[in-house]
Amino acid sequence: MIKFKPVAVVALIGCLLTLLPMRLMAGWDELNMTQGVTQVSQDVYEIHMMIFWVCCVIGVGVFGVMFYSIWRHRKSQGAVAATFHESTTVEIIWTAIPFAILIGVAIPSAKTLIAMEDTSNAELTIKVTGYQWKWHYEYLDSGVNFFSTLHHDHNAARQLGADVDLSQFEHYLKEVDNPLVVPVGVKIRFLHTANDVIHSWWVSDLALKKDAIPGFINENWTVINEPGVYRGKCAELCGRDHGFMPVVVRAVSQDDFASWLQQQHAATDSPKSRQAVSTTSSNDVQPQRTAVN
Amino acid sequence: MSSTTTADHHDEHHDHGPQKGLARWLFTTNHKDIGTLYLWFSLIMFFVGGFMALIIRAELFQPGMQIVDPMFFNSMTTMHAIVMIFGVVMPAFVGLANWMIPMMIGAPDMALPRMNNWSFWIMPFAFAMMLGTLFTDSGGPAGGRTLYPPLVLQGGDSFAFVVFAIHFMGISSVMGSINIVATIFNMRAPTMPLMKMPLFVWTWLITAYLLIATIPVFAGAVTMLLTDRYFGTSFFNAAGGGDPVMFQHIFWFFGHPEVYILILPAFGVVSQIIPTFARKPLFGYASMVYAT
Ligand SMILES: [Cu+2]
Repeated sequence: MIKFKPVAVVALIGCLLTLLPMRLMAGWDELNMTQGVTQVSQDVYEIHMMIFWVCCVIGVGVFGVMFYSIWRHRKSQGAVAATFHESTTVEIIWTAIPFAILIGVAIPSAKTLIAMEDTSNAELTIKVTGYQWKWHYEYLDSGVNFFSTLHHDHNAARQLGADVDLSQFEHYLKEVDNPLVVPVGVKIRFLHTANDVIHSWWVSDLALKKDAIPGFINENWTVINEPGVYRGKCAELCGRDHGFMPVVVRAVSQDDFASWLQQQHAATDSPKSRQAVSTTSSNDVQPQRTAVN
Repeated sequence: MSSTTTADHHDEHHDHGPQKGLARWLFTTNHKDIGTLYLWFSLIMFFVGGFMALIIRAELFQPGMQIVDPMFFNSMTTMHAIVMIFGVVMPAFVGLANWMIPMMIGAPDMALPRMNNWSFWIMPFAFAMMLGTLFTDSGGPAGGRTLYPPLVLQGGDSFAFVVFAIHFMGISSVMGSINIVATIFNMRAPTMPLMKMPLFVWTWLITAYLLIATIPVFAGAVTMLLTDRYFGTSFFNAAGGGDPVMFQHIFWFFGHPEVYILILPAFGVVSQIIPTFARKPLFGYASMVYAT
């Protein structure tokens, strides 16, 4: 048995050494859950990391005991099996500990879940309607509304047999013709529904994901802290092009948002003619987006 | 048992062994033969479902579309799930139950050997019917394994075949479960009270009850889908006063116990193997039974 010990020690040190260089951690942010740009997404990230480390400790503990027992008590070393098979004390302990851990993770989770549901006092309400296979956005306070579909160039490139160099697209299949434009620092309430089948509007940087169900209106909210472009997708299988109805949210300063809204109004003869809005706005958004970026 | 039930072929020479060739497997009432059939069926379906998974992963190797049409991709994910759940995991455990439960409780065979034969032989037809829809014009089912309306109602007529196949799979599972419950309660050796049963038998007893309780609910839900699609009802159609979320509630009344149906027999297997190879009695048998 002494013969094996140095080997085990060397292996352990080797494992620890490989963890040291931070270069190995460089891709971590892309692998791990996003921290996002809202308070809720930050809370969700922290709960995720807390539970992740709890799982790590449990995993190392349980598998450590298991592998040690198997290694230490192997037959070739003359181990004799114990014959005990009951211990009420042990069973109470290993029932109570998981129970306490569950309560410990349930409290912060419940707090965040309750915060997520509190859509009161929103300054801006946007109705999001899922269609096969696009999104329709309607700013209920101002009447501005338009469809948002997969960007035409991306749609052409993704066709089966289309021989296109995909490296020309920075965000392949994650670009839309008309992104949703929202102000930063404002509580925005989203109303979710669908026109045909169930969709789900999902933007992970904002920690927003809600089923859009025909005949139902679900709601959630966000306050975006940083301007930027945040991308998401439909997260409920909705048919043929479920993978090709991306979400793009462009968060801009409140002044830029006000002027964008003005521009949308100007581009529309009358707010009632919604068809006209959706077609004209698609032409107007493009130059404006480059201006803000 | 099998030698007495097959006595209606009038052999002059007293050959009481199993029949030869295909007839042995088609007409068998022997629990080990049926267990073997279940296990082979499960293995074959594992390769079928695994091949579908390969298609899914090959398509996802790069972003965009490379190999298959999105509808075919969706029917691969849908069928992969149904094949793996109903065609691989569940038959594998029923096969193990057929082999092990009579031997573990000291019974000569299952309580209902003819129903045992029937409950197996329904399954190949159910899966042939479901997999066959892949070769029809409208393609296989592509609405996802959870069969959520309204999406699932948009598909072609493969939907009706899938509902029928699910009914068959359900009947097969319920008959298998009834058989297991009947065997465990009626055919234990006289010296084996419930609290001395091997843990695999215990986990399967609970699994069988879960199946009997939840499969009919699932069958009812898919039947409501069927009438929504073909007979103008609006159980799940919001425009007709129905509720698409109600399907999700009914589905998960089945779906949540289903995860225990899939894992409990495996827990039972582990609880037999580890004590055997550790050469020591199972720790905390009674609490393991109550936990099941
Ligand atoms: Cu969708």
